[in-house]
Amino acid sequence: MSDQLVQILEGNTFVVSDDRGDIEASRTDPTGLFSFDTRFLSQWVLTVNGQRLTALSTDDLQYFQTRFFLVPGSGTVYVDAKLTIIREREVADGFREQLRVFNHESSPVDLAIRVEAGSDFADLFEVKDALKKKGRYGSELADGCLVLRYERETYTRETWISSSEPAGVDEHGLTYNVTVPAHGEWSTHLDVVASDGSREPAHAQAKDRPTGIRGQGSHRVRQDMAHGLQKWLQKLPTMECDWEAVGRIYHRCMTDLAALRFSTLTLPGRALPAAGLPWFMTIFGRDSIFTSLQALPFTSELASTTLLALAERQGTRIDDFREEDPGRILHEMRYGEMTAFEERPHSPYYGNADATPLFVVLLDEYERWTGDTKLARDLERAARAALSWIDEYADLQGNGYVSYQRRNEETGLENQCWKDSWDSISYRNGDLPGFPRATCELQGYAYDAKIRGARLARHVWQDTAFAERLEKEAADLKGRFNRDFWVEDGEYFAVALDADGRQVDSLTSNIGHLLWSGIVDESKAGSIARHLLGPQLFSGWGVRTLAEGEARYNPIGYHVGTVWPFDNSFIAWGLRRYGFKDEAACIVAGIMEAAEVFEGRLPEAFGGYERSTTRYPVQYPTACSPQAWSTGTPLLLLRAGLGLEPQGDNLIVDPALPMQFGHLQILDLPGRWKTMDAFGRGRIDTDRLTTRASGPS
Amino acid sequence: MAADPISQFFAEFAAPGHLATFEGDSATLRFDVDDDSQVQHWYVAVRDGDVAVTRQTDAADAVIQVDRPIFEAIVTGRMNAQAALLRGVLSCAGSMAALMMFQRCLPGPPGSTGRVAPITSQTVMAQRRPK
Repeated sequence: MSDQLVQILEGNTFVVSDDRGDIEASRTDPTGLFSFDTRFLSQWVLTVNGQRLTALSTDDLQYFQTRFFLVPGSGTVYVDAKLTIIREREVADGFREQLRVFNHESSPVDLAIRVEAGSDFADLFEVKDALKKKGRYGSELADGCLVLRYERETYTRETWISSSEPAGVDEHGLTYNVTVPAHGEWSTHLDVVASDGSREPAHAQAKDRPTGIRGQGSHRVRQDMAHGLQKWLQKLPTMECDWEAVGRIYHRCMTDLAALRFSTLTLPGRALPAAGLPWFMTIFGRDSIFTSLQALPFTSELASTTLLALAERQGTRIDDFREEDPGRILHEMRYGEMTAFEERPHSPYYGNADATPLFVVLLDEYERWTGDTKLARDLERAARAALSWIDEYADLQGNGYVSYQRRNEETGLENQCWKDSWDSISYRNGDLPGFPRATCELQGYAYDAKIRGARLARHVWQDTAFAERLEKEAADLKGRFNRDFWVEDGEYFAVALDADGRQVDSLTSNIGHLLWSGIVDESKAGSIARHLLGPQLFSGWGVRTLAEGEARYNPIGYHVGTVWPFDNSFIAWGLRRYGFKDEAACIVAGIMEAAEVFEGRLPEAFGGYERSTTRYPVQYPTACSPQAWSTGTPLLLLRAGLGLEPQGDNLIVDPALPMQFGHLQILDLPGRWKTMDAFGRGRIDTDRLTTRASGPS
Repeated sequence: MAADPISQFFAEFAAPGHLATFEGDSATLRFDVDDDSQVQHWYVAVRDGDVAVTRQTDAADAVIQVDRPIFEAIVTGRMNAQAALLRGVLSCAGSMAALMMFQRCLPGPPGSTGRVAPITSQTVMAQRRPK
């Protein structure tokens, strides 16, 4: 099978095809044209005189544009090709494809060029779970267009296919019978529009054409794209580093972040980070917040849009199917058929226990960087509702801790923390705790939300009484937490308390998030830092999700031994917060070196193998790349390495960089100080500091 | 005759005259509810938390079209408004942001309690034991 390609336009329209540009999806095969969580083309195959084509090369021109160089025939028969076909595709409200056929012979040639088209209109959830469709398929020839249609009651999705050159259109595709002159060229444009069946008001050039599913004309959108990417890149701070890989990593991150930008229908013209390409091109509370935090020193637009979009959809009622509560911040939003018919709860689904406190954390961090007190005031009601949720709805056991247990037992998530796989939370002996579960990092986020909420209450909302109440609650939480979660014989914090208040006592990376949140007593921080950089947790590249030696440890287990770049970026920030500069530098070095190996695009996770054993980081197989919070990771690592911290109207720079960075400078960091430059020199010998065993050289 | 759930919903919605959840928000919405033989209108005006409902037919920021049985289900929490929009049984012309704002005051499903019985570690382990 050919290598698969992905391309994408802002928002959640994307095409996955083979390297010829063809799409031949089966029910469960994730290729096709997708928009709003629905597959609009599952077949799109180009033939010339009945022959399939072969790719000579494929260029990803931009994240929304690809060019395929093709010749007729398959395998090795194409060497003497008399024809070349260039297929150039841009994604918009569907996609537009230009076909150019070149005849290299000295006599004209008659060709039958055929595009076979079809759609199964599968919901992304159906592609994942191989479910059966309940509606009816149809197709229609209208005004030279081929219209593919799916209807279930009033739910309609259509794919409109049209051509600039006259074509013979039938229910399964388009055929061109053309003569290409000697040494000549023939070309056509094909437009594919994904529609929800609504029509544009009568239009001059095309009557009764559909509006795109986003309600926009595709041409208008496309024109802005190349321009938009350039503008995005130009607005960012510039970076120079003696370690050349850092510059490449930075450029890759910023381009990938641009591709991950997602606009909602209610906030047109603004972008927030979707969680990952291509399957998670939607709003995820947790992922959008973490990515916005990572990117904040470089761009604040993602953060402000994330805050607005999440506030708009903040929970207001009790809904057990969607696990909605008043004040709760959503987990995931979807737009497909199964969501439409309430067979899935994603309209939106609220089943997470961390995005709500993290919403307050992001709002405060955003205000500290930007000085945008207007947004902090506009979102006061939302932030207060989020803070109330922590005490009124998240304390499931009445013991003063945030815990979770799903109320939707069919399609809800069992683990409503970032480690959301079924076996991620376990005792040392491998047993799984019951529910509710109060994982430790949730308490850290809740503590931080109260501290930051208090700062906003005092300085922005002008409510001193509320600030004092929050500070008192935070101090109380911190005191209890450091007593109840502390595993005496291991000198670290338990990953959770179970339903009986007993410690779930395995050693995990979650303790690093506690440093970031500031909930750790100063007297205990040293032990935590030692564990994070110790042989059980630190692989040489980064901190493992679960410590080697725990019963469920597996170096390629999703949340039970792999190293997650995003996790490590927040751990590095946490170490800096408590003054562990050398330790933070070790993580910065390890993850940036891994990023260099992955050519700037960090995977979601890689194997927890000892670095000296494998020499290279072993990528965990994952469907999504780039993933938003992996993309944001190098940005937060740069922040941690340079010790960037807003203080009043100033930006503090306190570098603690690994030696291999040499000189690092970032110019024009935006913020309430307008712009500032940051400089640092790598002085920390992280090789000497890490405990990794030296392998064969 | 049983009370009309839509009239009842709007009456309760407008009764306080002010809803804290809409403070800082201003928008107008017109609901055109198709009742077989006729279209009934409810016009909602929100101004920084102050709310008023009339039966006028003026232009509004968002004009929502919906059949009566669907809208009855929505205002009683038996159908989710966002899902209805995706299904095509409710349409919104104009400001989606206004509709997004309005949906905050819709009730949750009847029977949702927000509570669930705890599960023991033994039960979790039994469910996960390899077959």
